[in-house]
Amino acid sequence: MNVATDRKIRLAAFLAVMGPGVIAGLSDDDPAGITTYSQLGAQFGYRLLWTLVVSTIALIIFQDLGARIGVVTRQGLIGLVRQKYGARAGSFSAVALILANVGTMTAEFAGVAAAGQLFGISRYITVPLTAVFISVLVLRGTFKKAERIFFLLSAVFISYVIAGFMSHPHWGAAFKGMATPSMPFNSSAINIATATLGTTLAPWGLAFIQSYAVDKRLTRADLKLLRADVWVGSLLTGIIGFFVIVTCAATLHSEHITSITDASQAANALKPLAGTLAKDIFAIGIIGAALLAASILPLSTAYSVSDLTGSPAALDDKFNEAPLFYITFASITVVAGALIMIPGVSLIWILISSQVLNAILLLPLLAYMYGIARDKKLMGEFVAQRGSRILYGSIIALVAICVLAQFWFMFNL
Amino acid sequence: MKATPVEQINTVAKRLVGRRDRVIGRKSIRESLVSVAGLIGRPVRDPEGREIGRLVDIVVRHGEETYPPVSGLIVKVANRKSFINGARIGKLTPNEIVLSSTKINLESFQRREGESLLDADVLDHQIVDVDGLRVVRTSDLYLAPFDKEIRVIGVDISFMSFLRRLFPGSLARRPTPEHIIDWAAVASLTDANGVVRTASTRSALSQLRPADLADLIEDLAGREQGALIEMLDPDLAADALEEMEDDELEGLLRGLSSERAAELISRMEPDEAAEVLRDLTDEHRESILSAMQTTVAKPLRQLISFDEELAGGIMTSHLLVVKESDTVETAITLLVDNRERDSSDGVVVVDSRGKLLDHIQTVELLAANPQDPLELLIKAPFPTAVAADTPIDTVVEEFQNNRGSSIIVVDEKQKPIGRILADDLVDALSNKSSHIFSQGGGTRA
Repeated sequence: MNVATDRKIRLAAFLAVMGPGVIAGLSDDDPAGITTYSQLGAQFGYRLLWTLVVSTIALIIFQDLGARIGVVTRQGLIGLVRQKYGARAGSFSAVALILANVGTMTAEFAGVAAAGQLFGISRYITVPLTAVFISVLVLRGTFKKAERIFFLLSAVFISYVIAGFMSHPHWGAAFKGMATPSMPFNSSAINIATATLGTTLAPWGLAFIQSYAVDKRLTRADLKLLRADVWVGSLLTGIIGFFVIVTCAATLHSEHITSITDASQAANALKPLAGTLAKDIFAIGIIGAALLAASILPLSTAYSVSDLTGSPAALDDKFNEAPLFYITFASITVVAGALIMIPGVSLIWILISSQVLNAILLLPLLAYMYGIARDKKLMGEFVAQRGSRILYGSIIALVAICVLAQFWFMFNL
Repeated sequence: MKATPVEQINTVAKRLVGRRDRVIGRKSIRESLVSVAGLIGRPVRDPEGREIGRLVDIVVRHGEETYPPVSGLIVKVANRKSFINGARIGKLTPNEIVLSSTKINLESFQRREGESLLDADVLDHQIVDVDGLRVVRTSDLYLAPFDKEIRVIGVDISFMSFLRRLFPGSLARRPTPEHIIDWAAVASLTDANGVVRTASTRSALSQLRPADLADLIEDLAGREQGALIEMLDPDLAADALEEMEDDELEGLLRGLSSERAAELISRMEPDEAAEVLRDLTDEHRESILSAMQTTVAKPLRQLISFDEELAGGIMTSHLLVVKESDTVETAITLLVDNRERDSSDGVVVVDSRGKLLDHIQTVELLAANPQDPLELLIKAPFPTAVAADTPIDTVVEEFQNNRGSSIIVVDEKQKPIGRILADDLVDALSNKSSHIFSQGGGTRA
C-alpha cells in the first residue's frame, strides 16, 4: 500500500531474520566464542555458567546502548569519541578497536586453520586462501549473497542445542552454576572468565551495531525494531553459548578432558549427537562462523577508522576517495593472516587469548560509550537516566575487576 | 554521490566562492597564523610575563563578518574557569597569549547569542566544506590578526593535521598552512543554539543545487543537520527536502520544531508535502498540520486522506480556478502571480456553482482580447476529468487516450479539486516499481 509502511514491513522481516543484532550475535559464536565456551565447560563443568549469564546481560545492555547512540547522534563511535573527548582520545579509541579487531580477526583465521587441520590440510594453505577469498568477495560486492550462505553455515551451531539435550547433562548442576556465582581464584579460572566476557561483549560488535544504524540511516522510528533485533541476537548468543558449555561439561568435563588443546577435542563434544560425523559438523560450523565474522570485521573496522576523519567511508567509495578505508581493510586482513602463519603458534591459545585482549580493550570503549550516553547535548531526550547509568557503571566495574585480576595473575605468578 | 554531476557543481561552486576575497592567500596572514588546537592548554601571561593561567577555550562572535573575531578567552586561573575579554589580548603567538594590561577582570563566562567556543563546539566537530561539497571534521582552526581584530581565518580538515595534534610538545603547535581552507569556504554549524549565522556561508550554500544540498543534509548528524536547515532560506530548504529520501526526511522532521517543519512543508509542492506527511505517525503529522495556516493545512489534510494508489493521492491540489464570467485579463494576472508554481500552463474555468467547464491554455489567453469574458473561450477539446478514487492504472489509460499534459480531478459535484500532471504520474509509477525492484541499501558494513 504505502511506501513507508511497506518499507517498515520489509525492514521488520529483515531484522527478524538477519538484522545487524542477529549477525553480531551469531558472529559472537565465532571460532573464538565456541572455543572459549568449550574450554569453560570442559575445564570447570557447570560451575562458571554464571559468567556467561552476566556476559549476555552486559551484551544486551551495551548493544542496546550502541544502537541508540547510533540512531540518535547519527555518528559512529570513534567519530563521536573524537568530537567529545578530542583528537588523542579519538585516536586512542581507534587504536584499541583496531588491536581488538586484529586479535579477533586472527582468531577467525585460527578457526579456519583448526577446521582445516581436522581434515589434514595445512594452515599455510587454508589461511592465505581464506584471506584472498574473503577480500575478493567483499571488494567485488558479491558479499551480500555470500553473507547469507555463511550465516546458514554458522547456524550449524544450533546443533549444540540438540547435542546439549542428547548428552544428558546434569540440569540441576547447570542451573545452580547459572544462578550462584562462585569462582576459584586462580589464573586459569580468571583467564577463561575474562575471555568469556571478551568474546561475548566483543568491541567490534559495539562499533558495528552503531555504524550500521548510522550507515543505513535508521531513524528513531526504526529504533524499536532495531532494539528488538539486538535483544534477539544477544539472547541467541547466550543460548547457543549456554548449550556449548553444557554439552562440553556433560561430555568432556565428565570424561576428565579438562583442557582442550586442539579442535578435534572440542569437536568430540558433538559425538552424542553426530557420532562419527561430529568432526565434520563442527568444522562446517566453525568455517561458516569464521567466514561470516571475517568478512564483516575488516569492513566494520575500516568504517570506524575512516569515521575518525569525519567522513565515514564504505564500499561504494573508490580507493582515491577513501584511502584510509581500504588501507585499514587490507592491513587487518594481512596482519591477522600473517600472525597465524608464525610457525608453532598454538591455535587454541590464539583463540582464547585474543578474547582476553578483547576484554582488556573493551574497558576504554565502554567508558567512552558511558560518557556519550550521559551527554545531554548529544543524546537529547535519550540521555541515560540514573538507573541505566548505575547499570552501565556496574558492568564497566565488572569488566575492570576481571581485567585487573587477569593482570594480577599475569604479572605476579 | 554521483561523480560527474558533483564534479561539475564543484567547479561551479569553486568559481563562485573563488570570486570572493579570500584573505588566506595573503602573505602577511599566512605568516602570522596561530593553531587553535596547539594553543589550547598553553599559558596566558600578563605583560610582565607572569603566568595568569592556562587557556581552556576561545570564544568567537559570529555575525555578518566573514571572519569571526575573537570576543574573549576562557582561562583556567587557580582551578577556576574565568572569562577574559578579547580586547585585552596584547600578543598572540603559537605558544602563548600575552595580555595587554596587568589589570584584568576575571568574570565567569556567560555564553551570549551568536557566540561559539572553538574547542568545545567547532574543533573535531562536523562542518560542511562548501567547495568540496562534503561533510568533514575540523582538524584545526587558525587565528590571525586581520582588520583590527584577531579572527578565525581558516580551518584545516586534513588527516595529516589531525595526526600532528597527537604529538607532544611544540610539534603539535606548528601550523601547517598547506592544508588550510579559507573560513569563507566552510559552514560551521554549531553554537549554543546549534546555529551559526555567517553571511558568507549562507550565500555559499544558496549557490548549491537542491539535490546537492539534500546530499549534504543527509550526510550531517542530528544537531548539525537541524542547524543547516535553520541556516537555509526556507524556499531553498523546502526544495532540498523534496529531493531527500523519504525515511531520511522523516527523521529530519522529527528533529525540527513543529513550527519550522510546518513552515518548510507548506513551501513544498502540495502533492510532495502530502506524501511526506502521509508517512509520519498520526501524532507527529497532527502537530505539524496544526502549526500551519489553516488555508494551507486544509487542502493538505484532504490530499493526505486519499490513498496513494488513487488519483486523489497523487494529484496536486494547487489549481488556478477562475469563473466563466471572469475576464481574460483576470486569468492572466492570476497566472503571472503564480508563475513560480508548476501549474502555470493554464487556468481551470468553472461555472457559477463551481462545476468544471474547461481548462484554458496560457497561449489561448494571450491570443484573446483581455476584456473578453472567459466563457467565449470555452470549447472542445474539453479536459479529461476523473474522480478522486480513480485507480492509477485508469489514470494512465486516460493519459494515453487523450495525450494531454494533465488530467483534472473532480469531486462528486464535478468541482475541480486537483490536477495530475504527467510528472506526478511518473513519480507515482516509479514509487510503485521501486518497491518491487529495489531492496534498498548497499553493502556497507
